[in-house]
Amino acid sequence: MASANPLEKRLRTSGTLLIVGLLIEAVCLLWAKPITFVVFVAVGGLLIFAGVAFFLFSLVSTPRVHE
Amino acid sequence: MPHATTLIVLLVVFSAALVGVLVARPGVTETRGGKILAFLVLCFLPVLCGAMGVSREMDRSKTTAFCLSCHTMEAWGKSLHIDDPNHIPAAHFQNHRVPPDEACYTCHTDYAMFGTLKVKLDGLRHVYIYYFGTPPAPENIKLYQPFNNRECLHCHLGARSFEEGATHTADPATLPAIKSYTLSCMSSGCHEVVHDIAHLKDAKVWKGSN
Repeated sequence: MASANPLEKRLRTSGTLLIVGLLIEAVCLLWAKPITFVVFVAVGGLLIFAGVAFFLFSLVSTPRVHE
Repeated sequence: MPHATTLIVLLVVFSAALVGVLVARPGVTETRGGKILAFLVLCFLPVLCGAMGVSREMDRSKTTAFCLSCHTMEAWGKSLHIDDPNHIPAAHFQNHRVPPDEACYTCHTDYAMFGTLKVKLDGLRHVYIYYFGTPPAPENIKLYQPFNNRECLHCHLGARSFEEGATHTADPATLPAIKSYTLSCMSSGCHEVVHDIAHLKDAKVWKGSN
């Protein structure tokens, strides 16, 4: 699992944020309650935004590895 | 539409599984196809899932069941079943003058620009008070602002029963005053009986609704 490629490391971080965010959204969608609405938007939405933003940032900021 | 929710949940779980594959094997992104896959899985799908989920949550937050899911709102839900035609919310709910599934939202949204957003922000304040503050007793809950005729006129304006109603036309000044919001629909002697939470205990309840 360990990777020396910095982009791969960042992809893992981004992916982990997205997985947690998506799973929170999936669980929140199972209940129609005000608190799930808030958690869906505030926690799930924030994690997904962070994951996507980190992924896009990684693409433009990670130095290319030449072999 | 519970099926729509199920489909969105499945899409979200499927997306999470695909992200999991990339997390487990980030090496697949080294090829051109892998890069495209990474973009779809780490950017497009999560954004799509989030957008669909928000849309679904917004729809669900308009439902009567959603509003009444808080314990504080129980009495207000019960007031929709009062067996009294003079009781305005009950008469609207029981006669489907408002969609029964979205009864609260239909009357208590703000029919102005950004009305839905304003109502949602108020709702967030309600959730905060419910969990982190001290919710007032049901009989002490008040609107932030007096009920605006605009919300009534959104449906009733132009309706024959409203424009030609005997009480509305008895005095020629009444209708213009209602339409200019200077005379409230809920003025004393008009449609003044609204939720009337304080007298729910003694009220007769209509049991014909599911």
